[in-house]
Amino acid sequence: MISAFSILLTSAILSPLLWRTEKMLKPSALLVTLIALLFSSKAVGLAGFAPSAAGTLFTLVLLIVLAAVILHTEEALTVTQTLFLGAAAVALLQSRSLLAFLIAFEAVSLVSVVLTSHIRTPEQAEGAVKIFVAGAVATGILMLGAFFYTLSGGRLLEPLTTTPNYYGTAGIVIMLLGLFYKLTIVPMHAWAADTYALVRSDHAALLAGAAKTAAALAAFLMFAPALKEMVSLSVPLLVTLALLTMTVGNFMALFQKRVAKILAWSSVAHAGYMLLGFAAVQSALAKTGLLYMVVAYLFMQSGVFLVLDRWRKEGKETLEEIAGFGTTHPLMALFFTVQLFSLAGIPLLAGFMGKAVLFYAGVDAGLWWAVLIALLNSALSVGYYIWVVRYLWFHETKEKKALVSEKGSVVAAQSLLLAGTLFFGIFAGVVFNAAG
Amino acid sequence: MSALIFIFGPILLAALVGWMGRKDGAWVRYVALALFTLLLAYALWLLRHVPHGGYLSLGEFLNVPAFKFALTLQVDTLSAIMLLLTATLLLLVGLSSWTIDRPGPYFALLILFSGPIVGVFATTSLLWFFIFWELTLVPMVFLVGIWGAERRIYAAVKFFLYTHFASMLILLAFFLIYAQSGVFDMTQLKESMLLTPALVWWLLFIGFAVKMPIFPFHTWLPDAHVQAPAPVSVLLAGVLLKMGAYAMIRMAMLMMPEQAHRHAWVVLTLGLITLFYAGFMAIYETHLKKMVAYSSISHMGLVTVAIATLGFGGLSAALFEMIGHALIISPLFLIAGFLHHRTGSWQMGDMGGLMQKAPWLSAVFVLAGLAALGLPGTAGFIGELSILIASIHRFGLWMAVVAIASMVGAGYIIWTFRRVIYGEISRAVETNDFSMNRVEFAALVIFSVLILWFGLFPSQLFSIINGAFDALHATGGAL
Repeated sequence: MISAFSILLTSAILSPLLWRTEKMLKPSALLVTLIALLFSSKAVGLAGFAPSAAGTLFTLVLLIVLAAVILHTEEALTVTQTLFLGAAAVALLQSRSLLAFLIAFEAVSLVSVVLTSHIRTPEQAEGAVKIFVAGAVATGILMLGAFFYTLSGGRLLEPLTTTPNYYGTAGIVIMLLGLFYKLTIVPMHAWAADTYALVRSDHAALLAGAAKTAAALAAFLMFAPALKEMVSLSVPLLVTLALLTMTVGNFMALFQKRVAKILAWSSVAHAGYMLLGFAAVQSALAKTGLLYMVVAYLFMQSGVFLVLDRWRKEGKETLEEIAGFGTTHPLMALFFTVQLFSLAGIPLLAGFMGKAVLFYAGVDAGLWWAVLIALLNSALSVGYYIWVVRYLWFHETKEKKALVSEKGSVVAAQSLLLAGTLFFGIFAGVVFNAAG
Repeated sequence: MSALIFIFGPILLAALVGWMGRKDGAWVRYVALALFTLLLAYALWLLRHVPHGGYLSLGEFLNVPAFKFALTLQVDTLSAIMLLLTATLLLLVGLSSWTIDRPGPYFALLILFSGPIVGVFATTSLLWFFIFWELTLVPMVFLVGIWGAERRIYAAVKFFLYTHFASMLILLAFFLIYAQSGVFDMTQLKESMLLTPALVWWLLFIGFAVKMPIFPFHTWLPDAHVQAPAPVSVLLAGVLLKMGAYAMIRMAMLMMPEQAHRHAWVVLTLGLITLFYAGFMAIYETHLKKMVAYSSISHMGLVTVAIATLGFGGLSAALFEMIGHALIISPLFLIAGFLHHRTGSWQMGDMGGLMQKAPWLSAVFVLAGLAALGLPGTAGFIGELSILIASIHRFGLWMAVVAIASMVGAGYIIWTFRRVIYGEISRAVETNDFSMNRVEFAALVIFSVLILWFGLFPSQLFSIINGAFDALHATGGAL
């Protein structure tokens, strides 16, 4: 059966054959993502998997972003892993039964761990170990939850439903806690900031961008019906965790000196915003809001981490080191700034619309006071985003250097991501239609 | 379509000319001036075509039915007047920035600013209003942060954070409005559709009060004004502050009349405090630009008092004062910036005897200063007088205290004259050359002419302004 999943999986398995021919790998991988794009609405073709409109839109976006990552990267290994990640994510987004969800979720996690094992320095090793340990713990908790769920009479081969006994509820909550490890929800976030900041930034782009958003959306699609049935328990729990996550993320980000750390903590804060969508599950717009948020987040988070990857290759990663890059690296600094503004929620960029729809869903669900805290958090986050912008544009460079020219493929990758951020910032109808 | 071109066109144009003119780009100045002239013509066209007491529809775009999220462009007289004021100021700001460093990116940012500001005044969709409202901040931050004075970065960051925090309250209010009424279009919205109107009113009021700015939410403004380059200060005082007042009138008052009546005393009290507090701060200042900045806040206090009357007369007076204030405060900021550029100091004590070195410049300064304190024959007088009359009419004779504020104004303005224009010629003034670029001087002359023109023939402006509140007049002049 030809589908995006089978195309990506097959090409990922076959791609090591092209590792030796340096010129062939990237173009063929790009071609594969292009072909997969055409088949993104096709079902995986296995029991327990079925496509949905929301999942298909997200798959399209995901494949575009993965194409940008492939354009950007220079390493054969990363290209292959990106294809593997794409295949796992497509399966995850289409999973309908709990078993399919668990397997696909673990596949995404596994690729994530393998991705970080690409170690050159002791720092990267530390980051890799952290995600490995956290991933193992999360898997254990997830399986424990699934075990409880089945004890209550829940069926693995069917979509998740609430069952009226304590085991069922406990199972769902425990499974959620396992998922929250991956989604970097406080207090299960501790590994994330270090991992995102320490591993290579192009890998961080895949981890914090593609892997996290796919997991968040798939988890919502799987758990939302059950959460809706148990609001008296789920809403207080989820709201508390969401507010805690965004507040901790934003405050920690305020005090960082290294750009990678700032972005890593901002990623934690964004997980908090996403969780607000889970809490607002009663609102009809919660699904739209979450879909919008993950689409926007995928573009902007991948964008900033990929730019950072370029700068870290030059050995620049603290705020002082990137000071004045607006004059020496104008193009990359511009891409970085626009994506940062999008993360900050400045209008006409996708990040604003994502937050707006998601927060509106919160108001719609009656959680206006939580949305107020989220909005103030968002305003607080502008503090550190604009701090980075300040160093880029308002400071003089330490060493006077000529303009740094960028490789065409890197610029193309960034342009692709920027186009996504701008498109979804203005044309909201696409997302609303897909969410139904 | 035409309005869409003036909203999104500048954003694309700014990106284009900003990139092409990033090295030097003196030619970008002409592009900007051409655009602002077109905008001025467009605003005049709109003003002629707006129907009496109604809205001129300019189309609906980017509709998302599921969220009622459509860019509804509709203009009434109030918004057309604001557009006209904005276009005029943009043109004059462009002229007064003629000799700025790195004109390419600077003028590209001015162009970038001109797009969303049109959107703010032209849309009736609350969510799109918010989008444009926020978007005006971005070029402003760069204008202050790159071309500003010594502590520009601090001022730019503070300005951005402060106003962004306030905007979040506004956004929440809009969300609550939509959640409760199912309507984003302010022309279709009625207060009775809201379950918690008081909460929504407070959120809106505080949000707009920061922008205006009203005591105690004004602390961002002196910093931003002092650090910004002079033409950008003009933009801040003439356009950004007016956005706050416009939104306050349009949403907190006209859209929610019952809450506005209930809380009129809050608006009045804060307006009076702002008026006097900022006036006394201005007297105390020895820093020339800070003095002008506080005088600007004080005048916005006056506008707030006028808004609190909630009547036809008061709102018309507020609108007149807003326009008058924009015309008066701009030359004061421009001259303050010019003097700093030449003497290297902000202290009034270093600037004595300017009249002997630069009589024309001093004359403009004196004219604008006298207009600020409300000298008859200038636009400032008409604005203050009509506010005084409207507020006495509404709140009783004790509102004559507003006239005392005018005396406070006389205090700081005349003392400033004493220290800057007249008196002993100072060393800084004697040793520097005060000749001015012709283009920049032309801008000052236009400001002076307008101040006198609207002071001598106020009915010309009032005949337009009154149209903005026609609907009120029909109901007896009160909300």
